[in-house]
Amino acid sequence: MAIDKSLRLVIVTPERTIFDETVAQLRFPLFDGDIGVLPGRLPLIGRLGAGDLKVKMPAGEERHFFIDGGFTQINKGTVTLLTQRAVPIDQISVAAAEAELKAAKEQSARSDEQFARKAAALNRARKLLKLARTAH
Amino acid sequence: MAKARAIIKRLKAVRNIRKITRTMELVATARFKKAMDRATEAAAYTKKISEIVADLSSALADAGAKGLSHPLLEKHAEEKNAVLLVLTSNRGLCGGYNASVLRNAQQRIREAAGKVKLQIEVSGKRGINFFKFQKQPVDATYTTFEDKPTFEQVDELANRFIKAYINGEIDRLDIAYMRFETMSRQKAEVVTLLPIGKLDTGTAAPAASQAAVEYEFLPSPQEILEEIVPASFKARLFKAFLDAAVSEQIARMVAMKSATENAGEMISTLKMQYNRARQSQITSELSEIIGGAAALE
Repeated sequence: MAIDKSLRLVIVTPERTIFDETVAQLRFPLFDGDIGVLPGRLPLIGRLGAGDLKVKMPAGEERHFFIDGGFTQINKGTVTLLTQRAVPIDQISVAAAEAELKAAKEQSARSDEQFARKAAALNRARKLLKLARTAH
Repeated sequence: MAKARAIIKRLKAVRNIRKITRTMELVATARFKKAMDRATEAAAYTKKISEIVADLSSALADAGAKGLSHPLLEKHAEEKNAVLLVLTSNRGLCGGYNASVLRNAQQRIREAAGKVKLQIEVSGKRGINFFKFQKQPVDATYTTFEDKPTFEQVDELANRFIKAYINGEIDRLDIAYMRFETMSRQKAEVVTLLPIGKLDTGTAAPAASQAAVEYEFLPSPQEILEEIVPASFKARLFKAFLDAAVSEQIARMVAMKSATENAGEMISTLKMQYNRARQSQITSELSEIIGGAAALE
């Protein structure tokens, strides 16, 4: 079976498709850790985590996005990321990220469910803040 | 002269109205285009979600699992508490748009009366005023959804419904809105969103071709399903809001178009009346002068 050597990345949010281009390689967070994808990847369906999406363009430049949960589908050389939020990191403001972290810290966690939600929010906010700091 | 004056005054008023309705038509057209673009862009998400759901269900079927199961998919044994969400517009002058949505909502309310405890939630000032006039108590009102509903707003609403449904506080969620079919066809409908009867898997043909692909699942299909069912519900709810926004603009566009046409017709009849009145006045003045001159001879 001939392997198609191109890799297309499509990022879809509920409101619109924000990215649809051919890329060289990419790395993004799954629910339990990062995954790297090169052209010729076998089909996969997975759950996304929150964090940094690193995209290497064919010309060699790198682009970063912050993605916040969702799903991925890899099929026939196309990677589709369905996510609630995807922001290029140079558009994240440090102040907004800090505010989010503060809000996450202030959540009350009395039951297991609340605790899990708080932990997820903290994790997300910390990653967002870290990314925002690297961009500026 | 008095009659001709009155007609002129009226004529001016109608001309002004025509100017306003024509502008409103143009504004509605521009808004409609924007809303339509948003709706088509959002369609990609819904399509992908149903694609993944189709892949998942075929994978689960291959694995011999009993099929999809999720608290949001399951019907509650007894239907005691239900919610009806009514989507109307904030602004008027859009023809029969609000009336037809509210008519359907009322039908659902009558159906539920006595049998289930129905909570009514209304979005849009028009709907709120309608229920106030009907003296129908309303449990929640929203006026924040304008012609550009954002996913964040809908997400908040959706999370609340999901939680209430899973905790058994509500047994059914209906939504009354205007579904957008094509440019020239919109239909007011009451749709049951929870329980999700079955997930859209699209048409059978793509599902069959998709089944040939062997996916790797991270984590297991069942766990992905647990996340994707709420996502699919949210996408549906969001789509309803987008549809309502598009339909509202179309309704306004059509209403304003016919209003402009009617004003144009009225202007031409008024103009004719004015000319007649003026002519008859001239004739009567002339005959008075001639009469006076004849009397002097």
